[in-house]
Amino acid sequence: MLKRLFGTALAATIIAFPAMAEYPEKDIELIVPYGAGGGTDTAARLIQPHLEAILGQNLIITNMPGAGGTVGATNFAKSNADGYTLAFLPAGTAVYQPNLRDVAYDENSFAPICMTINDPVGVSVGPDSPIGSLDDLIAAAKADTISAGTASPGSIPHVGAVLLERAYGVKLKNVPLENSAKISTAVLGGHVDMTADLVGNAIKFGLKPLAVLADERLDSLPDVPTIDELGGPPIRLSIWFALYAPAGTPQTIVDKLSESCEAATSQSAYQDSVMDANRSPHFMGSADLSDFFQQEFQRTADLFMEIGLKK
Amino acid sequence: MLAHLPDALSLTFSWNVLIALLAGSIVGVVVGVLPGLGSALGMVMVLPITFALEPAAAIAVLVSVYACSIYGGSVSAILINVPGTPQSAATIMDGYPMAQQGKAALALGWATMGSFVGGMTSLVLLVLVAPELARLSLNFGPIEIFALILFAMTTIAWVSRGSMVKGVLASLIGVFLGFFGPDEMTGQLRFDFDIFALSGGFALVPVLIGVFAISEILMQAACMKDASVPMVTAGGFKLAPWREWRARWATILRSSGIGCFIGILPGTGATAASFIAYADAKRRSPRSANFGRGEPEGVLASETANNAVSGGAMIPMLALGIPGDGVVAIMMGALTIHGIVPGVFLFHDQPTLVTSIFVLFFLANIMILVVGAAGAGLYAKLLRAPISLLMPAVALLSFVGAYAARANPFDFTVAIVMGVVGFLLRLNGFPLAPIVIGFILGAPLERALRQGLILTDQDFLAFANRPIAAFLFALTALVLIQPYIKAAFRRQKGGTK
Repeated sequence: MLKRLFGTALAATIIAFPAMAEYPEKDIELIVPYGAGGGTDTAARLIQPHLEAILGQNLIITNMPGAGGTVGATNFAKSNADGYTLAFLPAGTAVYQPNLRDVAYDENSFAPICMTINDPVGVSVGPDSPIGSLDDLIAAAKADTISAGTASPGSIPHVGAVLLERAYGVKLKNVPLENSAKISTAVLGGHVDMTADLVGNAIKFGLKPLAVLADERLDSLPDVPTIDELGGPPIRLSIWFALYAPAGTPQTIVDKLSESCEAATSQSAYQDSVMDANRSPHFMGSADLSDFFQQEFQRTADLFMEIGLKK
Repeated sequence: MLAHLPDALSLTFSWNVLIALLAGSIVGVVVGVLPGLGSALGMVMVLPITFALEPAAAIAVLVSVYACSIYGGSVSAILINVPGTPQSAATIMDGYPMAQQGKAALALGWATMGSFVGGMTSLVLLVLVAPELARLSLNFGPIEIFALILFAMTTIAWVSRGSMVKGVLASLIGVFLGFFGPDEMTGQLRFDFDIFALSGGFALVPVLIGVFAISEILMQAACMKDASVPMVTAGGFKLAPWREWRARWATILRSSGIGCFIGILPGTGATAASFIAYADAKRRSPRSANFGRGEPEGVLASETANNAVSGGAMIPMLALGIPGDGVVAIMMGALTIHGIVPGVFLFHDQPTLVTSIFVLFFLANIMILVVGAAGAGLYAKLLRAPISLLMPAVALLSFVGAYAARANPFDFTVAIVMGVVGFLLRLNGFPLAPIVIGFILGAPLERALRQGLILTDQDFLAFANRPIAAFLFALTALVLIQPYIKAAFRRQKGGTK
């Protein structure tokens, strides 16, 4: 009896092992919690073909939009941790939303695989604005009310505006528009005075960027100073996109995916396509990303507590 | 632009590109005709395929899916009283009555030519004045958008045949459905009752599927006399004689203009455009009394306008990088992945490519005529199927469409519940179109109002200080009091006789 049981277990191990080693052996579903064509979807589709080539399986993108990405992320958090359901989430969905309101996932629901894109945020005004520098902007905000194009509370442009307000002791008139395209339209048309949004959008829409909220100047905008160079407070803000598996996914699978992701993101074809889209390629593997994710989660929780947004 | 035409043509006229164009047109018409699938889904379906193609072929697929899917929606609107896409919701009001009168072939002819002319007019604008028009759209901030949507809301009055009170009530159902889900300005969830499925709010397609398709199926089941008889007998494709077209040229022009204009501006979209054009045609037409009873002009207005939106919406997308509607947003994402980044520099940096987009859009509109005429015979065959076979097939496809919109099983429930609601409303003589108008315009109207109030420090009267907004307010008032003025004039005339 015992012998037979042992035999079965041994056989099972032998069968199971090659199966593990051969992951992935079928199509993988990739949940994107925003609609097709948007910033998150585009970022996912830029990496998709390169990952498919390396993994040797199809990555089937399912767009599951709604409620700041939380509909897709919640469905994802409930899915099987077998490596065949992954998600591509922006920082807003993975880190901001769980700190803003009650959702069915938290910092322990996901196994971070890799970061693929990290888009820095910049402070911009309209191309015809009389404001020519960050100092001008702050002076204008001190002299009179100026308006900032943002999105809902806890969105990147909103957090950016709040961080500027706190650092410089000014008050901005917060106009929540729905998305980056609408914000940029409003800045271009002079309906609002400034915005703190993705630098890529400023380039694409022809806004006048005054400062980038990153460590270094950007290759795409070599003439625009960092906020540190301007003697400003060390504000750092970016939207990063990462691939996740549900928590509990076997470490071998997470590692395999992370390695594949590293190989995919290091290809020059991938990097060129990302930069052509005015985005910033940035790789971070599973181990580093897990630490970074936890840090960001805590940092966001602290920030939202301070500015009264914490749920 | 002309200087780059030879290069653009050589880029366009290769077998790969032309085959891509044909394939895209067929996919477009199919997703258009099938209820619930629609332009957005068609675009998402072909998206992965385009990555394997060269940029010109990829653009060919995308623009042909876009143009032909908008057209395709009219076919099911006319033949089975179910709009194939949201954009064709206004077409059923006259298209289906025409089909019931045995004039389905004629109605398809009007819709096909209308779609073609609308698309072509918008292309002309796109080619000639895209950068200028795109800049015009920047003048529309929240306050102007509020005034525009308010104007669009007046169309409820014109599509509410029979009881005006019932029309307004139906539109309020639509507005109310739009309240569900996150408030985009504060991030707060509304009416979610702590039920997770409600936290994303309602999507347009499942609501539309329920209100139109499921309720139609229930209606057929309830009122069926003989299930073996086809619903609409005559099929095919027929163009009306030239004098009938000439009598309606003003509608063609005006609907094209309305479609382009709405397409260029953010915040309203093709569905609203077709309703606005329909209302406008009804208001002005000498055949006004026939509207809703099978007047070709109703089909013409709606279908011309919704296809005119396609070129209009591409104007700010190509010239500014700002998508005019959801479908164009998907196209923009696809272009971006191909390394073509729409934005202020595209016309300057890649003029040949932009020109080839125009050429392909031109060809895609020609394809509307080709697949429209070629497909008509096929629809006629399909419609020979008895209702007992046709309606279950429509039901199945409708559920596929409702689910596919956002891969959310909750949307089955939405479609079924809205189907029952739509059925009950129909039985009690409520018009259904206002539900859609309320749903698509309610939430943007509220947002624009609140954004505008923030900008003016909560001073609503200050809205009128903006010239564009003031003009649109005046237009809204004029449109609303026009019937009373007309009636007063008529009384006066009657009195002097």
